[in-house]
Amino acid sequence: MLKAVNITKRFGSLKAVDNLSFEVQKGQIYGIAGPNGAGKSTVYNLITGFYPYEGKIEFDGRDITGLPPYRIAKAGIARTFQIPKTFPSLSVQRSISVGSRFGAPGGLDSAHVNEILHFVSLETERYQKTGLLNLLGKKKLMIGAALATKPKILMLDEPMAGLNALEIKAMMGLIRKINSDLEITIVIIEHFMKVLTDLTETLLIIETGRMICCDAPEIAANNPQVIECYLGDTYVEC
Amino acid sequence: MNLKSMVTFLAVTYGLIGIMPLFVGDSVIIMRILTMILIWSIVASCWDVIMGFAGIFSFGQVAFFVIGAYSSAILSVSLNVPPVVAMLMAGMITAMVGVLVGLPCIKLAGPYIALVTFAFHMALKPFFSGPLGKAIGSGGSRGILSVPPIKIFGMAFSSAELVPFFYLALFLTLICSGVIVAILKSYWGTAFLALKDSEDFAVSLGISAFKYKLMVFGITSFITGLFGALYVHYVGILSIRVLSGQVFTTLMIMIVVGGIGQYPGVVLGAVFTVTAEQLLRPLGIYRFVIMGGLVVAVVLLLPDGITGLIRKLFPGRQEKESRSIETHKSSLEGVG
Repeated sequence: MLKAVNITKRFGSLKAVDNLSFEVQKGQIYGIAGPNGAGKSTVYNLITGFYPYEGKIEFDGRDITGLPPYRIAKAGIARTFQIPKTFPSLSVQRSISVGSRFGAPGGLDSAHVNEILHFVSLETERYQKTGLLNLLGKKKLMIGAALATKPKILMLDEPMAGLNALEIKAMMGLIRKINSDLEITIVIIEHFMKVLTDLTETLLIIETGRMICCDAPEIAANNPQVIECYLGDTYVEC
Repeated sequence: MNLKSMVTFLAVTYGLIGIMPLFVGDSVIIMRILTMILIWSIVASCWDVIMGFAGIFSFGQVAFFVIGAYSSAILSVSLNVPPVVAMLMAGMITAMVGVLVGLPCIKLAGPYIALVTFAFHMALKPFFSGPLGKAIGSGGSRGILSVPPIKIFGMAFSSAELVPFFYLALFLTLICSGVIVAILKSYWGTAFLALKDSEDFAVSLGISAFKYKLMVFGITSFITGLFGALYVHYVGILSIRVLSGQVFTTLMIMIVVGGIGQYPGVVLGAVFTVTAEQLLRPLGIYRFVIMGGLVVAVVLLLPDGITGLIRKLFPGRQEKESRSIETHKSSLEGVG
């Protein structure tokens, strides 16, 4: 469904993403992990058109390389951001309808916006300004607005960061529900291995922009190279 | 502010201004003040739309006003275009220039946009007073001295007949205010706010930053240019003095006093600033000291200008609602 072919991104002399290729299948929950600075968020920024790059990205059989972000959003790729972004000037409901009005194929769909408010359980906060939401609320709002674009694939960038154990559980439930009930393919960047092994079917591990391994999460987590890049070589059992 | 209170606010403010001539129609000074309030209120409103709502720090507002004024003056003086047509063409010319100035601003962040647009403003003075300006009929540094009045169905509108011109200005002001409200309350306005709040989030939801930023430049400069044209046919003369810092500062005081991004508060800002400037006229250049001090005081004490003050004195339904939600929440917590 989403296929990256030999994508490379250079920032000056630094190769943030280095000749990376991968493919996400329809209906999957696909995890991306790697140490800080590995280039995970950069990969997201390349897929969603925020930066130009070398290589090619295909989505649903269509070449989306070089399209501006808003066109990629309309094509059916939605995303969230690592640091929560909201529209402080707008209410929760209005923020979510922004996704519906501008990103969804048929334009504004008020019924769908209502469903989403229910789905991400932000109904009671619908008339509140988004700045008043707590961290979990802001994350749910970002996901809600992204879902309002009626995406085929949703890319989550560290959705668990900063949440407590209880909230992580709720968030994992929500992600599963998006995948099963709404039938939306999910790509997730995450640091918590437990979350990844619980949620994902395939796990891509990258370090310094290069793929280390791409496999089922239990296998990937035991890969000696992965352990080395996460914990250092002393932890690798010989 | 919601649609209903926005419309009520504008209707009351412009309604009160509109009935003033019935009482003070004989006073030349007051009629002049009222007319200038109308013209500046729209020019300042446009600035509030682009700066306060779209978050684009354009300092080209006076420049667009002047381009509209010169366009209409040159068209009607040198090419004998009827003033009504010249005014509309002036609006369109200004919109085109606005879009051209907007193009380099799309990729720039806040202060750099201010620099680019202000550089454009600064470039206009030598342009209109130099040989290039003379070639297109700007009259050089002497300016244009005989701009014809607006003629509609044989009736002439200019500063010679203050009351009719006032109502013509009021008519245009109401139309343009309607357009501004419609834009702000539609999804265009939402797109402007979304791009201001977080451009990354906005474009990831399908908003084209390119389209909506150029649109805001185009629309605001069209209306500003139209009112520049209205102004020039009103006063009948035009020179590069309009580009002086004084006009720029006065306009800025209006939106600061009204409250940046607090439309339609800026209309009150225009009422206040135009009136205060006229009343302080006997003080000569010292009136700017007072006006400057006032801006400092407003910025420090009332960050949202008069609008913020009004909201504090008369909390609207929205605040009450959010408060009741809070109390509801806390009562629930109390139960739990």
